[in-house]
Amino acid sequence: MQTTHDSLSLLTGENADPLKGGLSEVHPSTERKKKTPHQSGWVRGHHKDGGGYTKEMPKYITAGAFARARAAEVSAMLKAVRKTTSSSHVFEALPKHMRRRAMSHNTKRLPHRLREVANRMREKSLQARRRHGNLLLEFNRRQRKNIWLETHIWHAKRFHMVKKWGYCLGDRPTYKCYRACYRAMSSHCLLQDLSYYCCIELQGDEDKLLAALSQLTSKEAGPTFAAALCLSGRRQGSVMVYRAGRYPSQPLGPVTFLWRPRTQGSVHRQLWIWAHPTLKQDLLPELQTVCQCCEAVIPPAAPVEVNPTLEADSEPENTPEAKPVPGTKRKRSRKDATGPPAKKILGDGTRLPSTPVSWRSSSNGIVINDLTMEIVRYRLIGPQSHSVLVDTLEAATGCDVRTTCSLWWPQHCSDEAKMTLHQQQADIFNILKGIYSTAELPSGTVLGLTVDDPRLTLPRKRVKALPCVKQVDEEKRRKLMLEGVPEPCCQSFIWEQSVRDNVTDNKISEQELNRMRSEVLVPGSRLSPTPLQGRVPILLVHQPGKQVGHEMSSWGAGWDLLLPKGWGMAFWIPLVYRGVRIGGLNMSLKHSQNKAAPHFPRDYPDCPAGMCFQEEQEAELLDKFKRHPPAKRTNYIKHGCVAPFRCPWQQLAEEWEIIVQEGGSQARTTAQADAVTEERTSQQAISITKPLSRFTVLRNRKALRLLSAWCRPTTSKGQRPCRVGELPPISCEAVTSFLSAHAMSLVWVHVSLLSKGKPEYHAMLCVPTPEDLKALGNRQGTGGPQEPPHRDHFKSRIKRRKKEPKKASSSDLVLGLWPDPLPSVASHCSRVTVGWVTQGDFSMSAGCGEALGFVSVAGLLNTLLNQTSEHKGKLLLRNPTSLHYRFAKINVEV
Amino acid sequence: MVRLKSRYLLCEVNVSDRSQLLLLDDRAIMVAVKAAVARTHGDYGAAMCSIRFCVKYLNAHTGIVFLRFPKRCYKLLWSALPFITSIETRGQKIPCFLNCLHVGGTIRTCQKFLIRYNTQQLHRMLPKCKSEEEKQQVRKAILSCSLTESKEAFEEDSESEGEEEEEE
Repeated sequence: MQTTHDSLSLLTGENADPLKGGLSEVHPSTERKKKTPHQSGWVRGHHKDGGGYTKEMPKYITAGAFARARAAEVSAMLKAVRKTTSSSHVFEALPKHMRRRAMSHNTKRLPHRLREVANRMREKSLQARRRHGNLLLEFNRRQRKNIWLETHIWHAKRFHMVKKWGYCLGDRPTYKCYRACYRAMSSHCLLQDLSYYCCIELQGDEDKLLAALSQLTSKEAGPTFAAALCLSGRRQGSVMVYRAGRYPSQPLGPVTFLWRPRTQGSVHRQLWIWAHPTLKQDLLPELQTVCQCCEAVIPPAAPVEVNPTLEADSEPENTPEAKPVPGTKRKRSRKDATGPPAKKILGDGTRLPSTPVSWRSSSNGIVINDLTMEIVRYRLIGPQSHSVLVDTLEAATGCDVRTTCSLWWPQHCSDEAKMTLHQQQADIFNILKGIYSTAELPSGTVLGLTVDDPRLTLPRKRVKALPCVKQVDEEKRRKLMLEGVPEPCCQSFIWEQSVRDNVTDNKISEQELNRMRSEVLVPGSRLSPTPLQGRVPILLVHQPGKQVGHEMSSWGAGWDLLLPKGWGMAFWIPLVYRGVRIGGLNMSLKHSQNKAAPHFPRDYPDCPAGMCFQEEQEAELLDKFKRHPPAKRTNYIKHGCVAPFRCPWQQLAEEWEIIVQEGGSQARTTAQADAVTEERTSQQAISITKPLSRFTVLRNRKALRLLSAWCRPTTSKGQRPCRVGELPPISCEAVTSFLSAHAMSLVWVHVSLLSKGKPEYHAMLCVPTPEDLKALGNRQGTGGPQEPPHRDHFKSRIKRRKKEPKKASSSDLVLGLWPDPLPSVASHCSRVTVGWVTQGDFSMSAGCGEALGFVSVAGLLNTLLNQTSEHKGKLLLRNPTSLHYRFAKINVEV
Repeated sequence: MVRLKSRYLLCEVNVSDRSQLLLLDDRAIMVAVKAAVARTHGDYGAAMCSIRFCVKYLNAHTGIVFLRFPKRCYKLLWSALPFITSIETRGQKIPCFLNCLHVGGTIRTCQKFLIRYNTQQLHRMLPKCKSEEEKQQVRKAILSCSLTESKEAFEEDSESEGEEEEEE
């Protein structure tokens, strides 16, 4: 009767938590344990803590310790015995001969002792779950973690939903509509709910705001917040934001912004900045620092505003009490009397009510408001989006109620100036009818408007909105197309918090509206007079289409519709009834791909959000890869693909910098590729001594224009003759001077394949050898060179490891993937890599494979220098799963 | 039901010096049993023993072992267990013998038996305690091994009460 005291206490600890003990079996001698069918609470085999024994063993133990050991074992066994097998049903605990049919349906068939447990586990009946109050409670519970958009239920019935960036978003529809959506984008209209974009409102004096914001942007990268057209409030602008004063090196991401038009004699301005949710968390602190806004203000309106959330949070405590029992009215009525009725969450349901949404600066009077989820934003893409809008919306009808009431519209009606403004806006809106295509309007045009409730004019059947061109004054139409909307008409009352709240609070419920409809004398006729609550201030913002490149100019232009919160579904259904297609996240990616525009956060590898995206994507793809059985996985090592799941941009930029330094003027031969591998080894030594410089994406307009001109062949069928005259022709000196400024840069390129092939993401862009180009010149039919298959040196290592499971090496080798650190990425294959593709697909607009990606500036220039004028800008593209190189033409588009 | 039936032997490893018990591991016991069977029943026994024999559980602190034998030949293999006089582990020879406490058809019955057996042992220990301190400790141990049961039962009761309240 002798054992140790301390080890006994360890034992009790182990046995008290047998599950943990079961998981921590790591010592190699217990390999067979995996086969045990008993995953129950008791730990099989030898009990020890991580394999180590206490060195000295005491000679005696007390009876107490002995007893404790027994007790611990008993409790472990008890737990093991009590636990039923993994199934959730209670009757699994019964022996087979005691089971009866339909026990899960009728718990009275169970023995009495199990009935309680079974009752507790039984789901509520479907009717109970579907009852409106309970359903709302359930919905409110489910949106506590991820924000739901207002159209969530609509989307959830039709889309594959994904949880992204703290929202529940529709990814792609469950029905097949890829081509139909593309057709809608290019010929009719595609609708998207973009309410997840975050709006940040800045208020303050114009000069102070501009001074603060100028730190975030640079003129070299295009127009800034101070662009005259945007500043007047007539256009929406878009800008790339950097960390304060860190122009080329630390970008944050792209934002769009909208100034509220000036009111007479006031320098106080209002600015909305729209940013992607992943960008917001970086942008908001940055804005706070540049504006020196650190005092969090909880506005007096806030408690009222967050009330629904509060109630919703307190609600679930009442649910067990309010559990309905079928067929008992008494209980339900009591529940209605006591529990507060569940309220629909409008806006951000995940935020705590105490979280500040507003910050004020004491020094310069700037106020920052976080308007996330306060404004609904719908995007209509396509040339007919204006006719959909004109069909759906109707300018608000005036009202001649002289009585004072709390609604905003009657108050506004009594003001003459406001009514004339409304009349002007309505006129312009009517001119929109006469436009042939949305793309005819100046990009970024803003139109403020007040409209009637669109539910009142809902067609009884789904119709397709078609343009009707004739009845509009030609001159007015031309004026609108050339000059856009005049400045006063860009004003809208959606800018005012009080009006927004008023509109949201006084929305007529669907139920009430249906009741009013049913009371109309002639069924199906329009409600008249229009109920007073049904006037909504909105803002229409024109979205530019494809701006870069020569082909398909202004493809995918459209309108953005901004609404006060709460009105999302009221506008969504009428829009859907006008025959638009609905797209999800997937379609917005395709939209930007066809526009040849980078898509945030995917195509911003130098921004924090982009890096985060890349890591997530790599983890996701690797996970997917590992789900295949090893024999069915692509061996990427054999395909010569170093990094199939991510793009090591930093390494690429560094390598190309070194290649160029060592002697970029050499021809790219295999000899050079060998030299590069040597350099690679020496490079690690260099990179230690050198201060680490991060790669950047080239966004300097001038430099891009220069590159674009150099890329273009001087003679080609598809290209317009370019005006190289103003720009210096490509030469060694020009390239060297260019590289001295942008050696560590990447540049966004548009790649179109010359023959067949469908590029995929992470496809490599490589430099063709002179022989390849010669072959291309000789026979047009050739598909392109082949990469000789590589040898997988790691395979044998993996096999060896499998044979000797004892000597498990620490490195995580996966068959077919290069382990870290990666070899030289540039010169790994027979053709030197200059970049990777980030989006690629068969382009339905061009009729061939098209891709978008980044290439290293140094690599690109080095290639261009060595290419003859007829083959200028021709590269090879190879998918990660293929050995076949395809010829492609790259364009740098500005 | 079609399944491979087995017999589970719940054995106790008896050693003279209990501190040596901590050196045991399941492989050592397996080797010792196999050797004993081979010695007593020859090649036939060894073959029987190699098929589905396995050490399912070992608690080094109490010396409890679960052995699994095929049902067909468990009596033959069981008869070899008394011939185990020592177990060799980590280069040490531990003199011991195996005492079979229970033969069960499933692990579950063995576990149930073990619970009963251990509590019984503890109850037997209580009157034989020499000092007051020992008595306290044993009493605590007895309480602790029954406590889990009572606590769970208590929880169930309270939950069901809550359920009833809801129903009303």
